[in-house]
Amino acid sequence: MKNKSPLSPHIQIYKWHISSLVSISHRITGIINIIVITLICLWASLLLLGESRYETINLLLDSPIGKFIILGIIWSFSFQILSEIRHLIMDLGYGFELKTTKITGLIVIFGSIILTVIFYLTGKSIL
Amino acid sequence: MVQINLPENSKVKKGKYFKDKTGSKNLRKVNIYRWDPTSGENPRIDTYEVDMDNCPSKVLDILNKIKNEIDPTIAYRRSCAHGVCGSCAMNMGGKNGLACTKPHSEIDGDIDIYPLPHLKVKKDLIGDLDGLYKQYQSIEPWLKSNSKSKTTEIIQSKEDRKKLDGAYECIMCACCSTSCPSYWWNGDKYLGPAVLLQAYRWIVDSRDEEREARLKKVADELKLYRCHTILNCTSACPKGLNPAKAIAEIKKMLATTSL
Repeated sequence: MKNKSPLSPHIQIYKWHISSLVSISHRITGIINIIVITLICLWASLLLLGESRYETINLLLDSPIGKFIILGIIWSFSFQILSEIRHLIMDLGYGFELKTTKITGLIVIFGSIILTVIFYLTGKSIL
Repeated sequence: MVQINLPENSKVKKGKYFKDKTGSKNLRKVNIYRWDPTSGENPRIDTYEVDMDNCPSKVLDILNKIKNEIDPTIAYRRSCAHGVCGSCAMNMGGKNGLACTKPHSEIDGDIDIYPLPHLKVKKDLIGDLDGLYKQYQSIEPWLKSNSKSKTTEIIQSKEDRKKLDGAYECIMCACCSTSCPSYWWNGDKYLGPAVLLQAYRWIVDSRDEEREARLKKVADELKLYRCHTILNCTSACPKGLNPAKAIAEIKKMLATTSL
């Protein structure tokens, strides 16, 4: 009879809060970033095969979908940076009070959006 | 292992509906997780209409009211009803807490009551905490002293005593550990916030002479470092303690002491 015991519901019912959202997003953006860095390296290596190949990717990134992807990537990196700083501060033993974690979590979320805009506009003005 | 979906025998079905018989106008729907070990069926959610005009303020009062007046078959643990014993820990409105200290006015909409998450259910709202107790035993939660003089008391300064504040108050209700996703996926190896908070309590106790051995024991990729500061534990703790901070302190001690 013991083996028949059901497992009580967990992630299906547990309420999300800012810290858990930031934590899971930190992991997801981490994975995205690793993939993106690899792709950027591959893109750079395409230069070896000649300008035309490199240009095809450039064209793709210039399309609306490409711009959306670029924005997504910038956000992913911005989020990771801010969230990592939050983690480092926590590793030092600070910022564990519930109110503080909420505030730092919100800073990470809104800060990542602001950083995305700043990075995007700076990048655009350089090009 | 990360297992998002529930196993086949744990999928929750719709259960019975208990309509209000008192004719009260102030009704709330209460959805309660039910599982009967003798039936061989899947768990189900029973819905009760509860007359709130004649119900005291806490979630435990609702459960008592249902058991006394509507459906006596419902099973849940409870004892002191004052947030001291930790028996009535359960998941209410998507968050772990003690039913006896959680006001139902804090829950919006229908009141959903589940057992503590990711446990083997024994019956209805009663989860199996044996694994957690074994882990608690594994950190040897008692004072260890090798001093030969057994006749004198071990004196502790006020400052040293202060280090135990925020750790000794833990009532081992398991709200924190069962709220932790890391503990859900690795509960067999990861000690979880409740046990690590107690490990911390004995590590920082100035009277204990086994500090290094305790630190060494807990310094393990799986036992300790599965904490990723999700902070579900701290936000769940009904006693307002901070297991996440205690875990961070243990990590810090391990990083700064050479063992």
